[in-house]
Amino acid sequence: MSETLKKSNSRSLWQDAWKRLFKNKASVISLIYIVGIILVAIFADVIAPFSYETQSPQDRLLFPNTTYLMGTDILGRDLFSRVIYGTRMSMSVGIIIAFCSLIVGTIYGSLSGYVGGRLDNILMRIVDILYTFPSLLLIILIRVIFGPGLFGIFFALTIVEWVSVSRIVRGQILQVKEMAYVEAARAVGVRHQTIIARHILPNILGPIIVTLTFEIPAAILSESFLSFIGLGLQPPFSSWGSLANDGFQAFKSYPYLIFFPGMAIFLTVLAFNLLGDGLRDALDPKLKNT
Amino acid sequence: MKKYSWIAVILLIVGLMLYAKPWSKKSLPSNEFRFVIVSEPPTLDWSLATDNVSADIIFNLMEGLVQYDANLNVQPALAEKWDISKDGLHYTFYLRKDVTWSDGKPLTAQDFVDGWQRLLDPKTASEYAYFLFDVKNAQDYNSKKISDFNQVGVHAKDDHTLVIDLWHPASYFLTLHAFWATFPLRKDIVEKFGAPQWTEPQNIVTCGPFKLKAWEHDYKVVLEANPLYYGPKPKVQLATAYIINEDSTALSLYETGKVDLIRRIPPLLIAKYKNHPDHKNGPFLRGYYYGMNVLKKPFSDVRVRKAFSMAIDRTQLTTLLGGNQIPTTSWIPKGMQGYEPEIGLKFDLDKAKLLLAQAGYPNGAGFPQIKMAYDTRDDNKVIAESLQQQWKQNLNIELTIENQEWKVYIKQLQTDAPPLWRLGWGADFPDPDNFLNLFTSYSGNNLTRWKNKSYDALIEAGAKELDISKRLPIYHKAQKLLTEEEAPIIPLFIDAQNVLIKPYIHGYALNAMSINILKNVEIHK
Repeated sequence: MSETLKKSNSRSLWQDAWKRLFKNKASVISLIYIVGIILVAIFADVIAPFSYETQSPQDRLLFPNTTYLMGTDILGRDLFSRVIYGTRMSMSVGIIIAFCSLIVGTIYGSLSGYVGGRLDNILMRIVDILYTFPSLLLIILIRVIFGPGLFGIFFALTIVEWVSVSRIVRGQILQVKEMAYVEAARAVGVRHQTIIARHILPNILGPIIVTLTFEIPAAILSESFLSFIGLGLQPPFSSWGSLANDGFQAFKSYPYLIFFPGMAIFLTVLAFNLLGDGLRDALDPKLKNT
Repeated sequence: MKKYSWIAVILLIVGLMLYAKPWSKKSLPSNEFRFVIVSEPPTLDWSLATDNVSADIIFNLMEGLVQYDANLNVQPALAEKWDISKDGLHYTFYLRKDVTWSDGKPLTAQDFVDGWQRLLDPKTASEYAYFLFDVKNAQDYNSKKISDFNQVGVHAKDDHTLVIDLWHPASYFLTLHAFWATFPLRKDIVEKFGAPQWTEPQNIVTCGPFKLKAWEHDYKVVLEANPLYYGPKPKVQLATAYIINEDSTALSLYETGKVDLIRRIPPLLIAKYKNHPDHKNGPFLRGYYYGMNVLKKPFSDVRVRKAFSMAIDRTQLTTLLGGNQIPTTSWIPKGMQGYEPEIGLKFDLDKAKLLLAQAGYPNGAGFPQIKMAYDTRDDNKVIAESLQQQWKQNLNIELTIENQEWKVYIKQLQTDAPPLWRLGWGADFPDPDNFLNLFTSYSGNNLTRWKNKSYDALIEAGAKELDISKRLPIYHKAQKLLTEEEAPIIPLFIDAQNVLIKPYIHGYALNAMSINILKNVEIHK
């Protein structure tokens, strides 16, 4: 009897969360959009009618038509295909960077929050220093060291993004580690790693997931911004940001060149933010009521 | 409460309209001509300047012994007349007596001698020192073989007579005196303030139609009519050069009437402006090429160099740019004697692939990962991406592209050039020697590191020959060597001038050297 009760209780927490999430129409639409865009990123080769780098000079600067759904750029490349491949680039950059900074930030934050004391003080002051350092300057410095290419972008953006994650995780851990069940586990003699991994992290998973959904669009935006100012991907690769950069110089004459990549960035960032809002409301009902 | 706030809003809007109206109608002073330069001038020191942005300013601050008219014929300037000896070895220039520097001191022949001494001084390290190597002992002085400048063949006979002795006749020698590197210089000013501070507005002393009024770095350069100028005073009081490196920004400033002249139209937009009444198109003695660092692998192998040149369909590039540029495989541009379009490595895929295979990279296999570099500019980007794709498609070689700001870029080419890079070359004087001399082993502007003794000998022979019918066959050989047999460069196209100029601007004539002469500009609104 007690066994079943416990099970149904723990399940109903997540079931409740799902229920609350599905009540939020904006979040549901965002979730569908995000799943769709991830599928587009995975199956870019299948969906895109042309390669992202095939140039056909005789078809340059065409407005959107039936062959070229989003028109062509100055080199005669199909913008639709480039936006599709750009989706793959932007999404993978966003997701990978968000996960990397999540892992780094979680480990760092848990260590700081759980151990506390002088170590906490030192670690958090380091975070403060990184926080005050102008992120763009830091990114440019790292890009100069690593040169152009994807790895440099991942590295640079992770270094900038993990800081805020570590703060959130530390704050959560400070709360949770005072809970009775953590004290109980400690009294029984459970090892520290096990306490963090088994007892604390599962209980702060909600805020971490919410953070993740906000980190992904932040990373996508950062990458777009880097590509926009010319520090991002090198041609012929395209991300939404580099496409917008190519188009913006003639936005009065060829508005479609910036409209479609700009729309892609806008919708995706909006969708992640709406989903993040919904998730936060769903996972943390207390917050919603206040 | 609500009512009052509405009144406040209405008042605010009316206030803004009242404020905005006179502001938008405020007409600009009609004696200021505003134009765009694409970067901060690297220097205004005419012994050191090598680029066209610096030249856009220097040509209005200074004049030489001679100058060009709109058709590039030589006209008197600071020299009112000159004598050339029959054998072409001795030049005597008679200076105008009414020329004063902007600080009131008269111009003397010694100022030319001082300028040339500085140009040739090895400590100055001027890339244009070689311009004077036809002058007796000039090269020896530049390479520290002699240290007494009196032995160099330029002397001030008196305050207004300049005498020059050459080693050998030089067919183009007179036109050199319209070029900035040979302009006179105030030695006392340079020594007093030192380089580069002497070119700051409060220090610099010049003798051209304009004075340097202000140089706000990375923002604008302001020129002011020089009241002491010997010739007819400029019609505009001020000429302001705004430093704007984004072509699209420059274009929107032009559209909104904030500037009167832009000399580059972004390639994306050229089709839109081709039929615009403000659009002017003109020929340009300017070649656009990719150079290869022949000291570095893989371009140390001539077969690879040839393969890269043959694998490009140049008409694709000129279609992309769409501003009447002319595809070329030879180097001397159209409009100059010696233009021979049939010279050079033509688009030939089979041969390119064969050469690449012979060099040890069959179908691009095993080709090292190399980068191609260009200086940040919209048209350069389009060209680079097209070339990258053509080499990938035609040779199966993938290159990475890297771009840098002009100042950083040119420094990098001079110190440690990447394997493949872009540059252009505009005529300093309208003679084939100026284009071919660029790639001699002793030219400071030859960044390919290619050195060829027989090429050097041909260029020297061509320069010494005064008879054009004998010169042209020499240049034919030299061009073949440069663009067919050795191929350290990939000539791509001959540029064209595409400018937008407001209809109320008069007296701005396009010339094929794109010299930015502002002294005749008038504004009639």
